[in-house]
Amino acid sequence: MFSDLEIGVFIDELEEKIQVINDGLLALERDEGNPDIIQEIFRAAHTIKGSSGIMGYQGMASLTHEMENLFDKIRHGEIHVTSPMINVLFEALDTLKDLKDEVIGEGPAVDTSGVVEKIKAFVQGDGQGEQAVAEVVQPTAPIVESIPDRRWLEIGEVEEVVIREAELRGFQCFRVAIDIDRDCQMKNVRAFLVFETLQQIGDIIKSEPSAEDIQDGKYDVGFQVLFITKEDADRIKNLMITISEVTAAEVQPVVLQHGEPYAEKTNTKVVENAPQARENGTAKQQEGADKKSVKTVRVDVTKLDNLMNLVGELVIDRTRLNRFAEIFESRYGSDDLVEAINEISNHLGQVTGDLQEQIMKARMLPVAQLFNRFPRMVRDTAQKLNKEIDFVVEGKETELDRNVIEVIGDPLIHLIRNSIDHGIETPEERLAAGKPATGTLLLKASYAESHIVITVQDDGRGIDANKIRNKAVEMGFVDRETADRMSDKEALQLIFRAGLSTKNNEVSDLSGRGVGMDVVNTAIEQINGTVELDTKLGAGTTITIRLPLTLAIIRALMITLGKQVYAFPLTNVSETIRITDKDIRRIGNNEVIVVRERILPLVRLGQMFNCPDCAEDSKMFVVILGSGDKRIAVVVDKLLGEQEIVIKSLGDYLGQVHGLSGACILGDGKVALIVDVRGLVKDLGTEETAYAAG
Amino acid sequence: MANNLSSAQEEQVVVFQLMEQVYGVDINSVYEIIRMESITKIPRSPHFVEGVINLRGRIIPVIDLGLRFGLGQNERTQDSRIIIVEVSGQTIGMIVDSVQEVLRIPVNTIEPPPPVVNGVDAAYLRGIAILEERLIILLDQNKILLDEEKDQLMQANFGA
Repeated sequence: MFSDLEIGVFIDELEEKIQVINDGLLALERDEGNPDIIQEIFRAAHTIKGSSGIMGYQGMASLTHEMENLFDKIRHGEIHVTSPMINVLFEALDTLKDLKDEVIGEGPAVDTSGVVEKIKAFVQGDGQGEQAVAEVVQPTAPIVESIPDRRWLEIGEVEEVVIREAELRGFQCFRVAIDIDRDCQMKNVRAFLVFETLQQIGDIIKSEPSAEDIQDGKYDVGFQVLFITKEDADRIKNLMITISEVTAAEVQPVVLQHGEPYAEKTNTKVVENAPQARENGTAKQQEGADKKSVKTVRVDVTKLDNLMNLVGELVIDRTRLNRFAEIFESRYGSDDLVEAINEISNHLGQVTGDLQEQIMKARMLPVAQLFNRFPRMVRDTAQKLNKEIDFVVEGKETELDRNVIEVIGDPLIHLIRNSIDHGIETPEERLAAGKPATGTLLLKASYAESHIVITVQDDGRGIDANKIRNKAVEMGFVDRETADRMSDKEALQLIFRAGLSTKNNEVSDLSGRGVGMDVVNTAIEQINGTVELDTKLGAGTTITIRLPLTLAIIRALMITLGKQVYAFPLTNVSETIRITDKDIRRIGNNEVIVVRERILPLVRLGQMFNCPDCAEDSKMFVVILGSGDKRIAVVVDKLLGEQEIVIKSLGDYLGQVHGLSGACILGDGKVALIVDVRGLVKDLGTEETAYAAG
Repeated sequence: MANNLSSAQEEQVVVFQLMEQVYGVDINSVYEIIRMESITKIPRSPHFVEGVINLRGRIIPVIDLGLRFGLGQNERTQDSRIIIVEVSGQTIGMIVDSVQEVLRIPVNTIEPPPPVVNGVDAAYLRGIAILEERLIILLDQNKILLDEEKDQLMQANFGA
């Protein structure tokens, strides 16, 4: 059996190649004859066939074998790519994914025979399409693997001269391919017999592999020779077949044309599988492909986390060293040694800073990992809905923390489906509206300051704010009066409410149940991101998602309560102000302050956290915190400033502590607690929008 | 407990003092013993949870073992220590009055605990070792995190 490590490598490679085939098929659909794409898919299928064969996954090997065969024919121009063929190939790709799941142990056993037959139909039916499928699907003979075109050995200049001379003397030249039984024990003996027999009736002028290798038995299942004789093809064939353990012999006359080297011609024949010659051909291509690949190693994420912790240690030691340097300075004045310590401390600080950054970067993955899943989805969805969509993906190389990538996958699926289903119109509608029949859907990732911005943009019908108003009133979210008072922008914000869908009573199986946008919003907010919606009626909708580069590190506002330091994630901090007792008003038992004509509940975090040594001053610092459209004002003792912090969990023992979302380690090694602002605001905050206040 | 026995039918325990009593905890579950350091208090946590510390980049919760056992809290001194124990995948620190030594205790000197020992529920105890006139109360490291205690933590979190 293979070790987990080996299987892991195999799976990694498999996923990569599946992606290559996926991309290739999508490209092929647009550009049917592109030889580069065909070549690439052929190569990927070939690689999977090889490695899955070695690993003993027969189903996968035979499926990719058929795909390889088909693409071999396509690249030789014998079959043309048709759209039913692409569909079957996608089906094959899905089967391949299922097979992968089976290998990982996540999926049930997969039956490949159906799709294998369909591909075979294309291979044998020379692109007859569905008709051929129907014929072959019926169980006829036991499956005989068809050999794709045998790649005949090439005739070089030297051989050509010999052949021409021989032809003048009345000889005929043949290519002879001999296949020897796979289980043959004495390959060298069989080969010797073949050579002996042939040389009695003519001359061998070339062989592949070389004559020495063949006679040493160093060949796979067969070999080829270039043979000059006065006998005819049938006689050669009969002679060959009589040699025991020769399973097949193929003889092809060589015809030289116009003094040019023999143009490769292929013929198909069903014999025992012997793709040896082809194997050689693709090996060369393989080498070429390897050269292009980037040098990488795969590292377990936990190892990177450990490295990160170690860097944290370094930072703490540096801070301590710094403090010692200060002590020395105050004790001994500034002399050379003190200077030296200072210098070392500073340098150490720089290096650890860089180290930290590099390790963070190592945790990042290109967003391509996620984006590559979408073209196929868009294609399928568009086909189902009879829409024509040009799907453009930009900024695939943008890097994101892998945790972020995991979180945004589902929201993006929602958004893209929404765009296709609700946004982009059918070709007829589009033409009627004076737009091109094909809609454009843009998915783009880019950096903006310390954020990643992901945009989903369509040029569809846009969202009608009035429709949303009506719907919101209908659903009882707001009354008619406030709905009418809302600006379009405010009205559009309602789309993020749970249960609101613009498609009236019309639920497709893709979207439209009204669970989309609020789910998207919640998921994005959970990772400290924001969602913005911009739409123009008739011109399209743009949804912009802003995300932090990483989940593990955030910028935070550090504050103190008593002697302890707390952190507020900066994404939730809208502003800080100073107030005095006089600014505080009361509504019932609750303290509130008014900031920019908004009434905000005032939260004394020190009291809430039972902090005994909190200062009770008449002047106080207030931090305005927000999440979604809710805001609260929080009284704190001191503001320490902004800082990047590494978020750590409080651990299973303490579990989910109310009011806290985690902890982080400060430069001096002490622990600061991160306030769960979102939870706090949710519990205590008031809504922003005017209609709620009014 | 049989799997912790050494070849000579002995086991090694870390011996520590808590409220004038001598306790022992199996050395295999002890990850580290550190001096008292600044502990960050967790608001609205149960009274026996002292807070969290940074142990080389890891956030470790620390409990006051005296308070946990309902024995009261002793003053922190130079001798106070935090014993970091690792139990079933979780790591916590226990504050004790002092750590004395590592002892080998012959298994045959260990007696089952009476229902209550000096006010500590027998549920937390594995037994009592009588060794050359000394009485060592052996903690059951697997029970340090009792389900009951987790419930209490949960209540503290949500009841506050």
